[in-house]
Amino acid sequence: MPSVEQGTEVFRALADPTRRALLDRLFSHDGQTLNELCQNFPEMTRFGVMKHLSVLAEADLVLTARQGRTKRHYLNPVPIEQVANRWISKYAARFTSALVALDDQVIAGSETEESRRPESA
Amino acid sequence: MSLNTHVYQIYIAASPEQVWAAITDSEWTRRYFHTTSFVEPPQRGKAYRTVRADGRPAIDGVIEEMQPPLAESPGRFVQTWHILYDAALEQEPPGRVEWTVENAGEGLTRVRLVHGGLGQSRLTWQNVKDGWVWILDSMKTLLETGNPLPRVRDYEGVVDAARS
Repeated sequence: MPSVEQGTEVFRALADPTRRALLDRLFSHDGQTLNELCQNFPEMTRFGVMKHLSVLAEADLVLTARQGRTKRHYLNPVPIEQVANRWISKYAARFTSALVALDDQVIAGSETEESRRPESA
Repeated sequence: MSLNTHVYQIYIAASPEQVWAAITDSEWTRRYFHTTSFVEPPQRGKAYRTVRADGRPAIDGVIEEMQPPLAESPGRFVQTWHILYDAALEQEPPGRVEWTVENAGEGLTRVRLVHGGLGQSRLTWQNVKDGWVWILDSMKTLLETGNPLPRVRDYEGVVDAARS
């Protein structure tokens, strides 16, 4: 699962919206128990959540650690970083984030323009 | 909820002994860990201190466990972690950094890093969150290619980002 094949596992794990939602939950509150995670997905069975977690664990995106009798789940950002680095070099990372920021500004700017248009017309 | 711990895992194409050296030997750490090195070689039960290449202090604490990897048992390096590289972070209570180095087969070593005890250290929690990803990535790159990652940010930059 690690090394060369890790990229494949990561993409497979990220392809599912529920699994991305699970990662989002851990990103905002790392170290949740299975019960805590299940509360976010009332429409899903406990078994369903566990299955999604095991796919995320196979891709190394979720790690578990025991605290006494409690098993907690942690988001491991390392595989995502490695997948990103495969196409974005460390040199480019800053430049890219600057471009994304610029893009956001341009979009925000054009939205302001559009909202003004009816008044001026 | 438990916003007091970060957990990371990475696979490195190197032997457990090489990875152990990368974590505990200054000849390695200064090449990927923001130029930091141990003032004295770390010893179990003893205090330690790391400094940057220019002599400025980085981290101090106590080495609580130091068990090198053996054929069948994983290596364990546990250190309390008191930050010295930033005045605000220095005021927060020390955390604990636990390295586990384990043979994962196929020429790979699994490194698990747990940085815990940060429940009362919000700034540190935020500061080290992405920092460890870069360190682990840099260590992997150094061990696998012989060169560390190019330096894209330093402690100050990360601290500023965490505050903004």
